[in-house]
Amino acid sequence: MLGPEFEKTVDAIVAKYPQPKAAILPVLWEVQKAKGYIDLHSEEWVASRLGVAASHVHGCVTFYTMYKQRPSGRHHIQVCTTLSCMLRGSDELVGHLEKKLGIKTGETTPDGKFSLVRVECLGSCGTAPMFQLNDDYHENLTLESVDRLLASLD
Amino acid sequence: MPKVTIDGMEMEVAAGQTILQAALARGREVPHYCYHPGLSIAGNCRMCLVEVEKAPKLVIGCYTPVADGMIVHTASPKVIQARAAMMEFFLINHPLDCPICDQAGECRLQEYAVEHGTGVSRYTEPKLALSKAVDIGEHVMLDQERCIQCSRCIRFCDEVTKTGELGFFERGERSQIGIFPGKRLNNNYSGNVVDICPVGALTLKEFRFATRVWYLKNTPTVCGGCARGCNVMAAVGKQNTMMTTRGQQDDRVKRIVARVNESVNGHWICDVGRLSYEREQGATRLSGPHIGGVAASYDDAVAAASTVLSTGAKAGKLGVIASPRTVCEDLYAWGELTALMGGATLGVRSLIQGEDDNILLRADKGANSKGAAWIFGERASEADVLAAVAAGKVTTLLVLGDTLDPNDTATAPAGVSVVYVGPFVSGPAATAAVAIPSASWSEADGTYVNFEGRAQRVRRCHLPLHDARPGWRIAADLAQAGGLAMPAFTSAADVLAALAKRPGPFEGVSVEAMGLLGMPASAPAGA
Amino acid sequence: MERILTRNIDKPEALTIAGYEGAGGYQALRKAVTSMTPDAVTEEVKKSGLRGRGGAGFPCGLKWSFMPKEVDPKRPHYFLINADESEPGTFKDRLLMEKDPHLVLEGSLIGAFAIRAKAVYIYIRGEFVYGAHVLDRAVAEAYAKGYAGKNILGSSWSCDLIVHRGAGAYICGEETALMSSLEGNRGYPRLKPPFPAASGVWACPTTINNVETVANVPFIIERGADWFQSVGKAPKNTGPKLYCLSGHVKRPGVYEAPLGLPMRELIYELGGGMLSEDRPLKAVIPGGSSVPVLRAEECDVDLDFDSLAAKGTMLGSAGLMVMDTGTCMVAAMARIAHFYHHESCGQCTPCREGCGWLERVLNRIEGGTGKQDDLDLLLSVSNNIIGNTICALGDAAAMPAISFVTKFKDEFKHHIDHKSCLSGTVQLQGVR
Repeated sequence: MLGPEFEKTVDAIVAKYPQPKAAILPVLWEVQKAKGYIDLHSEEWVASRLGVAASHVHGCVTFYTMYKQRPSGRHHIQVCTTLSCMLRGSDELVGHLEKKLGIKTGETTPDGKFSLVRVECLGSCGTAPMFQLNDDYHENLTLESVDRLLASLD
Repeated sequence: MPKVTIDGMEMEVAAGQTILQAALARGREVPHYCYHPGLSIAGNCRMCLVEVEKAPKLVIGCYTPVADGMIVHTASPKVIQARAAMMEFFLINHPLDCPICDQAGECRLQEYAVEHGTGVSRYTEPKLALSKAVDIGEHVMLDQERCIQCSRCIRFCDEVTKTGELGFFERGERSQIGIFPGKRLNNNYSGNVVDICPVGALTLKEFRFATRVWYLKNTPTVCGGCARGCNVMAAVGKQNTMMTTRGQQDDRVKRIVARVNESVNGHWICDVGRLSYEREQGATRLSGPHIGGVAASYDDAVAAASTVLSTGAKAGKLGVIASPRTVCEDLYAWGELTALMGGATLGVRSLIQGEDDNILLRADKGANSKGAAWIFGERASEADVLAAVAAGKVTTLLVLGDTLDPNDTATAPAGVSVVYVGPFVSGPAATAAVAIPSASWSEADGTYVNFEGRAQRVRRCHLPLHDARPGWRIAADLAQAGGLAMPAFTSAADVLAALAKRPGPFEGVSVEAMGLLGMPASAPAGA
Repeated sequence: MERILTRNIDKPEALTIAGYEGAGGYQALRKAVTSMTPDAVTEEVKKSGLRGRGGAGFPCGLKWSFMPKEVDPKRPHYFLINADESEPGTFKDRLLMEKDPHLVLEGSLIGAFAIRAKAVYIYIRGEFVYGAHVLDRAVAEAYAKGYAGKNILGSSWSCDLIVHRGAGAYICGEETALMSSLEGNRGYPRLKPPFPAASGVWACPTTINNVETVANVPFIIERGADWFQSVGKAPKNTGPKLYCLSGHVKRPGVYEAPLGLPMRELIYELGGGMLSEDRPLKAVIPGGSSVPVLRAEECDVDLDFDSLAAKGTMLGSAGLMVMDTGTCMVAAMARIAHFYHHESCGQCTPCREGCGWLERVLNRIEGGTGKQDDLDLLLSVSNNIIGNTICALGDAAAMPAISFVTKFKDEFKHHIDHKSCLSGTVQLQGVR
């Protein structure tokens, strides 16, 4: 599906567990890394490779919130809005981003550059408010630092 | 054995049993959804919470094993309050579909809401909306909103058929049962998920909106689809819900569901058997006796048949081919009749198709192959009879029963006088010298012996169409028409009693002994 | 105060194994593997009084002692490190993993030795991408140095070290859900018994410990249980503790102190006091959001397991969320309810249906369409959840709700009766 290199990566992952099913989460991560998201065809491939039902894989993909079933924006902004961040202004941050990007949370900009979601506690309460941009945490945000960050992204 | 007290009743319970199992076995109804004796324990519905003295909180009865000295209360105030609380939780997002839901009348949500609920809803928020009327398989319709996430259906597909079609998708309140997009729930046991679904989330398409269950009359019987003889409940309902003056002539089997028999089919039946009534109702019935293709009265046809058969028997050229779906009583009566007429070469059709599926379905589609072998003889094969026909040694043929194949002409060879006694129009019926309609699977009491030698009762679910009579009665009438000394049977039980007098596997077999779950009968010595 | 758990946090050189060893690292592992028996290690940890730092506070040595003393080759032992840190208000494990990964690995390996494990799986939440990366590097270094893999430090004990990333589910911090997830399933908690030591992951004997818990172990082995008992409040609340301070304080962050630090000292001295001079302390949730809230006047309490339990709340994950008088407690509780609603796995009825119900009612009250019966309804629904669920997430949703509604009843009533917020100055909008 994704080539022999990919299959080798998967083999190496499977070798770390006593049962192939345990490799579902790491293998799904690899799929998402390669394709940007996880489509149904990939789910079936994973199911077949690891010896489980396709419905089981789909159950995992839809349970764990970080797996994407469709592509997100190039810059996927995940704003923490749980209590500690809320106390330090996460809601104002979300409002500011919605206005600035012209989209509501859950949406992607038409040019595909940004997508914006609210997420739950990211374990960064001491540096609130903050968001995760793709893989990276950006902490101690102010509206100004956010604007500067957005401007720097292409 | 541990001694346990449940609601003041002291009892000895086998070690390893759960509180729920112990309570149910002694008639203490503990409400539950997700527990099913044929599946693993999930413990997620929380409906079976009970109070165990000295335990810090309520425990689920389905998962808690009994311990010696345990004192359980299944209806204490705490338990009653918890049950009401669980019922309330079940109902807050449940759609008010009762008026259009097939499950009404046999729905655990309804039953427990009445018995254990508070009667009033405190929920005034918007309900969750999910997909309704989702076609997920050839026979199964899914309504995600009605689902209570008990996971029985998922466990069934994982543990029994091991096909894993169904799964939980999404998370939390949005959890829903589903099937992988593009795939179908099309294993041969899909209908069982409808049986086990406690609510109307999974319903049978063939039964959708057919009738209300309270218009159904249930008869415990045995499937006629293969040599397993799964125990089933056949439900008969009116053609339409308005009472008609034609009354019971309209009665039809509306659905078949599994009936538990740990010795035969456990809790399950296959879809082929589940829908076998459709095949039966779809086939063209032999609507009346005929002689040489011309409609005749029953008495005339009986007389004509008697003449044809006895002529053949006296010439030593009578053959019999019986469908392996013919009940023992019929086979016995026809065997006696042809013997009294002068003898016949007996043969049983082979209905072996495909392979055993190693779950329930047998390759042998003859529900009574074993009974037929025991009555007609292990070596009595259709092939031998047809060979005799080909060799000119059989010129008169009695064809019994049906193979449900209207194009079947195998038992209508040229140059042979055929008497056909069966329910359906089929090859031999069309060209028979005499054809007499007999009762179909759902129309007469009888006995099947399954492939393991278990004798089980097939029951009449409704009056026969077209005045079709049980085969054994037709045989008895032929005997009378021919002046032969066959006993005057008045019921299938009479015939069975006569069969049971023969030394052999049917000794001890009776209607009472078979009861609802059948009884093992033994192979004839030397067979 | 001596920095124990955080001694390497400000030393970037400790990120490499050479630097970590240079600071004295892996001596404890060496001592354990080459001069102690597994049971002796367990005994030392038992004597130390170390209690789990993930939230439940279960005695660590006791948990290790539940494991079989002999390994059935058909049922290898597994040591799972719970790095799923998702309890709101909590960010201490992240600090250790990102800044002193080898401490975490060393503690994990000593624990693995004590329970005779064949492999350690570090289940790290998916969002900690950087933390997983740091751990991966450290794991490779540990293997290269022979601290993991075959015949560790020349002994007959072999043990693998694997970093396993989650993918976004708070419930996977629950130990049985963690095991379900590690096995490649949806993160559904399991019925107990069996307990993990009897039958855990892949139906094998398993022990699960939090990151911070195992981080204490090298110090216990190196310096002894008696030393550990001298830190904090012997006998049952011992050792150093990482406290997470967040919310309306000047200096939020992770602070190390012996167990039993007074809350006011954490907030006003270490944390620099309240964010705003004109908005004094109003409430603190001491243990991550899953524990009952304390009103300001209840905050004269030592931050240890037993002192907080005596106050009707819990130390939990020691994630203290500080709220000043500008906080609308209704909005705060609605936000907490949203969290549990989002994170409920959906397996069992009371939590699946109840968490959504709680959030919806709280949203209405916050937004101004609350009804007179709503407060009693919230209490009733919460009480119907507590004790009736498969795991503690239901309780974690219900207990805060009960404590907020009870202790800040006037605010809730004000929202209902007057459709406005008593906290006045700051109108916090609900998220929906």
